[in-house]
Amino acid sequence: MWRRPFPWLIVVAALLFALVPYFTNDVGMRESLLLAAIYIILASNLNLMIGYAGYVNFGNIVFFGLGGYICLYLVTAWHVHVIVAALIGGVAVSAVALLFGTGILRLRGAFFALATIGVNQAVQQLVVNFEPWGGATGIYLSLDSYKPFGGPMQALWWMYLLIVLLTAASMLLSYVIKNSKFGLGLIAIGQNEDAAAVLGVPTARYKALVYSASAFLPAMAGGLYFFKSGIIEPGAAFNLEQSIEAIVMLMLGGAGTILGPALGAVLYEEMRGILLTTQYLSHFQLVIAGVLLLIIVQFVPGGLLGWLHRLWPRTRGWLQ
Amino acid sequence: MKRSLYLFAAAVLFAGGPALAQNTITIGFTASQTGALNNDSTAQMRGIELWKDHVNAKGGIKAGGKSYQVKLVSYDDESQNTRVQQLYTRLITQDNAQFLISPYSSGLVATAAVISEQYGKVMITTGGALEKTYKLGNKHLFQLYSGSTQYLAGALKALMQKDPKPSIAFVYENDPFSKAVTIAAREQAKKAGVTVAVDESYAGSTTDFSPVINKVISAKATALFGGGHYADGATLARQLHEQKAGLKWVTLLVAPDSPKFAELGDAANGISVPSQWEPQVTFKPDFGPTPAAFAKEFTDKFKIAPAYHAAGGYAAGLILQHAIEQANSIDPEKVTEVLNKMDVTTFFGHTKFSDDPKSHGLQVGHEMVLAQWQKKNGKLVKEIVWPDAAKTANVIY
Repeated sequence: MWRRPFPWLIVVAALLFALVPYFTNDVGMRESLLLAAIYIILASNLNLMIGYAGYVNFGNIVFFGLGGYICLYLVTAWHVHVIVAALIGGVAVSAVALLFGTGILRLRGAFFALATIGVNQAVQQLVVNFEPWGGATGIYLSLDSYKPFGGPMQALWWMYLLIVLLTAASMLLSYVIKNSKFGLGLIAIGQNEDAAAVLGVPTARYKALVYSASAFLPAMAGGLYFFKSGIIEPGAAFNLEQSIEAIVMLMLGGAGTILGPALGAVLYEEMRGILLTTQYLSHFQLVIAGVLLLIIVQFVPGGLLGWLHRLWPRTRGWLQ
Repeated sequence: MKRSLYLFAAAVLFAGGPALAQNTITIGFTASQTGALNNDSTAQMRGIELWKDHVNAKGGIKAGGKSYQVKLVSYDDESQNTRVQQLYTRLITQDNAQFLISPYSSGLVATAAVISEQYGKVMITTGGALEKTYKLGNKHLFQLYSGSTQYLAGALKALMQKDPKPSIAFVYENDPFSKAVTIAAREQAKKAGVTVAVDESYAGSTTDFSPVINKVISAKATALFGGGHYADGATLARQLHEQKAGLKWVTLLVAPDSPKFAELGDAANGISVPSQWEPQVTFKPDFGPTPAAFAKEFTDKFKIAPAYHAAGGYAAGLILQHAIEQANSIDPEKVTEVLNKMDVTTFFGHTKFSDDPKSHGLQVGHEMVLAQWQKKNGKLVKEIVWPDAAKTANVIY
């Protein structure tokens, strides 16, 4: 894998992402890039489902929220180190996804999409009524929780660097899966599931596996992100709007590609950030974002990367 | 001649120099200009803006022999805590805000506090009633509102004055704030030996309350506590009236506080609402405007009467200003010290912060009032019915 240039491109990009704000000590840049990194993780893992297997998962945010809850619960109630807690969160959510996936992935098309929304809402309601996790008001972290890192200021840098690490891991995961037999099987399912099954692709198992795989990194990211925020509550953790935004980013960058979701996520986030903080545009930021999206979806349906590939066919080889 | 002209010009420039270079103090906050919290957050922001206009018109905040003009910097947090940390970091590091005012709502306040605290910035919180936030070890966070456990405590006391053995139905929205407030009241009621007839939560989007209301009727409840936000609260009030639930007492959160609530007509009559502040309160301020003066100037500027969110915004600025002037310095640690000891009354009421390290900054002075819609000469007006010291009319029961 490391003999190809593409994985190195990911590593270099991640290093730049991590080191530029760190060495310039630009906290503002860090905060903006952190949101971009979270969105890359969400969009990139969603891509495994939508871009590869062709299953539209509207409720992907459930992994992020559930991972966040498990992590914060372990940190506050059991005093587990946040990194270990996030890891446990990732594994647990993946396991739950495997279990759920085996069930709901029997559904196809619109029915599957609806079921994923249902899962998100059901989990949210469950958490709202689950008092050990703070019920409707959620879990609040005390400032002492940041002490293992030497205070909140250092802890926030650590969280940033770890989240960037997960971003790189997400893209490498996309790359490894795409270039494996598993990935080929998924793409076959995406093209024509019945034909794939006839040709010997174990569709049910592959679908459940990819559903579970797409849960692991977002769940870990959720843990780190909500640790950084200092609070997790059901509304923010299972925010369907964010789920849909991740789909938009994916389409913007180019579904099915590896770099596309990342490009889409960064562009979308930076655009929103600029609109939000520009005084004259702040009231219109959602309007402008909406119009831009309409234009992109209307005129470049393959997303940014699809458009680049069409413009310069040679880029297909190294810009995957 | 020419030289003396130059000299004269130079003298004018130098003399004018210090006066031109105004001292400013930057106060940063985020407001929910879009999203679900827009209505209440906008009122809060207007309150802050009105305070800024007043301060600057009077020459600014005075500290250390200087006068500082107030400059406000604010961004839209979209009613979500996703971006709150990014924006507060920006306010502190790029806009160089010296002091902060909180966003609106408890979840956003807690998220912003992680940032304000690490930079040692004083943040006055308004619109963040949940007590949890103040039990996390923050040292520069000061809460202006009465905590969420206080919201229905007054209503319960007022009700028990009229009927020592009520049977209460708790029917509330399942959002964090409404749930925390109502559950606290339910516990207080149980402790006082009151019968809890119904205990039901509902989604904010509910439009048909008949099943719940039937439950309330069959449980023979005499009083109802609950509600959530405007849309659901107004609908619940209307359907309670239409279905003749036969309740003697109804206290709903938030919705009846809005002047719009009067549009419900007879359905609004007798419904009470706990409020952080009402324009009719009669507090005698140690400094700043009287409640009536604030209400008038707010109405003149924004063409709408202020409710408690707006008053909270103004009071946040006023308390901060008072602390800076008392500290005679813009050093955050000195201002914090003054706030720790503060014990004052403004148009907003009594303000005193807990200095116990376990609940630092929690509001312990402010008391809520209970307002009730009453029909006077065929017109609905909101009267204060509790506490006795502040009341403008007797409660209808």
